[in-house]
Amino acid sequence: MTNEPDTDDAPLDPAAMLALSERQQQRIANTAVGPVAWLLAVWGVAWTVGFLVFWSGYAESGSPVLIPLGLAVPVFSACIVAAIVVSAVIGIRMNRGIRGSSNFSGAVYGVSWSIGSIAVWLIGTALIKAGMPHDVAMLFFPAGYALMVGLLYIAGAAIWQDKGQLILGIWITAVGVGATFAGFPTNLFVMAVLGGGGFLAGAIAIPIALRVRRG
Amino acid sequence: MAELDPVIHAQARLRIVATLAGLDDDGSIAFPRLQELLEMTAGNLSTHLRKLEDAGYVGQEKTFRGRTPVTYVLCTKQGRRAFEDYMDQLRALLGNGATS
Repeated sequence: MTNEPDTDDAPLDPAAMLALSERQQQRIANTAVGPVAWLLAVWGVAWTVGFLVFWSGYAESGSPVLIPLGLAVPVFSACIVAAIVVSAVIGIRMNRGIRGSSNFSGAVYGVSWSIGSIAVWLIGTALIKAGMPHDVAMLFFPAGYALMVGLLYIAGAAIWQDKGQLILGIWITAVGVGATFAGFPTNLFVMAVLGGGGFLAGAIAIPIALRVRRG
Repeated sequence: MAELDPVIHAQARLRIVATLAGLDDDGSIAFPRLQELLEMTAGNLSTHLRKLEDAGYVGQEKTFRGRTPVTYVLCTKQGRRAFEDYMDQLRALLGNGATS
């Protein structure tokens, strides 16, 4: 049953009507959730590629391929900036044409990412000014961002009652903590593999979960 | 058992109401987006919306976005109740609570 009748004014039997209604509601749910898989995929690629390249910029990393730091840093920055731009576009498109009280939650949630990012950056800048050494700063920034991202996913889970976001949030928070204990520059590798990998796993899990629910 | 609500008991209108009932209580959706989610032609959607509006199940708000008029469609409280009743009736007809 793939073709939805559109000109048909006639009813079907009760079972088919019930199925029709449920299929339509499921379809709406899919259009809401589908872009989230893309968001996670974009961040997964950005973290995996960005942090791996960044890590490969340090001779002491043990990376099989060494990339000049002068190249690694811009590549890392480009990955993150591209992910921010793409996710802003996806975020704006997701709710287009739909109004309602949950738009407020969505808008506040969206802005909280910007506030959090800027706050982590400013705190780090202040700590560097206060004498934080380079290697510690290199631990602080990834950890600070991972903590912010993880907690925001947990908050998202609370707002949208979504267990997937809860799992991802706890995972990213744990990666941020674990990466810091791993020390610099291994923390960058941990962020790439476990952090980026976590996003990619989430991106793959969403369509699978949708298909299972569809039956 | 009461008759199934004839306003909702039609494939196209059931899909419309199912979609609108999924919005926030105070939510509404732009006509073109609704059309996209339902894959219906504008004319066909308008016809069915008019029937739903006549029954008091659906409301429309006309606003402007810049200079372009945009129509937002919403489900009234009465429409939500009718949809819930209809779904309950269907489930009852199919033997209590069977949903799949």
